[in-house]
Amino acid sequence: MKEHRKSTVVLEVVMIVVTLIYLYPIFLVISNSLKSYKEVMTDVIGLPKHLLLGNYSYVWQYINYPRLFLNNVIITTVGIFGIVFFGSLAAYKLSRTKTRYSWIIYLICITPMLIPFQTIMITLLKLAKMLHLSDSVWGLGIQYWGFGVPMAIFLYHGFIKSIPKEIDECAYVDGASTFRMFFSIIFPQLKVVTTTLVVIDVMWIWNDFLLPLLMINGSKDSQTLTLAVYTFLGQYISDWQYAMTAVIMAVVPSIVFFVFMQKNIIEGVSAGAVKG
Amino acid sequence: MNRLGKKAFEKIEFGIYVLPIIIFILFAFYIPFGMNIFYSMTHWNGIQSNPAFVGLKNYQQILHGDIDFANSAIFTIKYGILYIIIINVLALLLAMLLVKKLKTKDILRAGFFIPYILSLVIVGFVWKFIFAMGFDSLSQMTGLGIFKLSWLGVPNLAFLSVLLVSVWQSVGFYSVIYIAGLQSIPQDIMEAAVVDGVGPVRKFFSMTLPMLMPSVTTCVFLALTNSVKVFDVILSLTGGGPGGTTASVTYNIYQEAFQYNNYGYGTAESMILFIVVMVVTLLQVSVFKSKEVEA
Repeated sequence: MKEHRKSTVVLEVVMIVVTLIYLYPIFLVISNSLKSYKEVMTDVIGLPKHLLLGNYSYVWQYINYPRLFLNNVIITTVGIFGIVFFGSLAAYKLSRTKTRYSWIIYLICITPMLIPFQTIMITLLKLAKMLHLSDSVWGLGIQYWGFGVPMAIFLYHGFIKSIPKEIDECAYVDGASTFRMFFSIIFPQLKVVTTTLVVIDVMWIWNDFLLPLLMINGSKDSQTLTLAVYTFLGQYISDWQYAMTAVIMAVVPSIVFFVFMQKNIIEGVSAGAVKG
Repeated sequence: MNRLGKKAFEKIEFGIYVLPIIIFILFAFYIPFGMNIFYSMTHWNGIQSNPAFVGLKNYQQILHGDIDFANSAIFTIKYGILYIIIINVLALLLAMLLVKKLKTKDILRAGFFIPYILSLVIVGFVWKFIFAMGFDSLSQMTGLGIFKLSWLGVPNLAFLSVLLVSVWQSVGFYSVIYIAGLQSIPQDIMEAAVVDGVGPVRKFFSMTLPMLMPSVTTCVFLALTNSVKVFDVILSLTGGGPGGTTASVTYNIYQEAFQYNNYGYGTAESMILFIVVMVVTLLQVSVFKSKEVEA
């Protein structure tokens, strides 16, 4: 038994060291974002001699961070609201209607989960321009509805089947409309799926890069955080201290989200993946 | 009359609830896909309103003698196979270590998961910095040869870099799935096997692995779809270089359409990618599903 405990301690120490090495690149980025240009060029590994916050105020103003942050919040909120609202309602109706058409529609809805985005991106851009959904924060948010709904339908559809139909019927007898019945009785019971979905979609939409890259061309005001940082890094590629500062500013929101939602994220990923 | 009214009402209600998502999905996938089929048979620079119809010429050109496309296909296949193998082996190994009763297991799992929550483009830039600047310092400090190599400048090494960075970013994600799978294996069977004197290696291959097959199917499927889509890392880490050696098919499509303005040609490449992805995914799922056992 003692032998066993000893080996566990050894394993524990080894794993901690491995994890620290694994995350060392992120540490290097933080440390170099606090250095001056000269310091980065001469010594990347060493700790910053003085904590230089000037890089942050420079990048903050240059890329207009508050604006970008707001854009990301709008896009993510609009996207997720639509995916959850329309997705859950439709999945409910599809799941409760047991006809062949309903099944065919369900299949048509979930098939896009298999289609790589890059295979349709060229014509999608043309279509989005025709619909005036490109170059706008709201338009971008709305576009995520179509990309996010297939998985929402898939997850909700499976879960709703396990909720007894009698519950709906009781509410009907009380005279509630389907819409009200759904949101006051069924929707609260879908909390597990909704959480999984929101967590997965927040990580996806917040970090998504290719769709904004294609859609947002003209206005700097409609850029997303990742897109703006990408553009910034393209221009400042030799000013590593600014580049690393921009990197940190882009990833801090994700890390904060992760720290607070860690449990939900890990559970959501395992739940979502097992079903997918 | 009442019954008829109710039926009609239900149909209308079905329409009201289901129609919005059908419209969204039509616009997000099916209409662009239909346009793809049409534009893949045209010469289209993205601006003209009436692109010239050329039949299957784009397809012929791609399949006979487009060296860039062929190279990007070879890159993607090589990358995909190696990524799927490496990520699954490492993630499973990591999961088996992190499923043990360690005091810090929650923190360790979170630590390995962190890179996954970062945007891939950003991760590419982080590693560009590490390769360009960090390795320089590390080689001065340690004198080790691996830090002196030009990780982004030599074709084979650049390939490895793309692979390494992709694995670094996502191994924590896959191990979370494997951890969930490992935890769902009934422990009494495992303990019985140990009592019966089954060695650890045999226990792994004849018990753990078969019972883990659903997780393996999922992870291989996800690794497959993700490796086919590889794009962001390449854009920020190597830009397809050196000399186009790390350009994936998706990167090639992107360049063809948005940098060289060969939109028609790009859509034809997209169609080929689509067909290949569909065939490979369906094959993979059906082969792996047949290997799953009921626990």
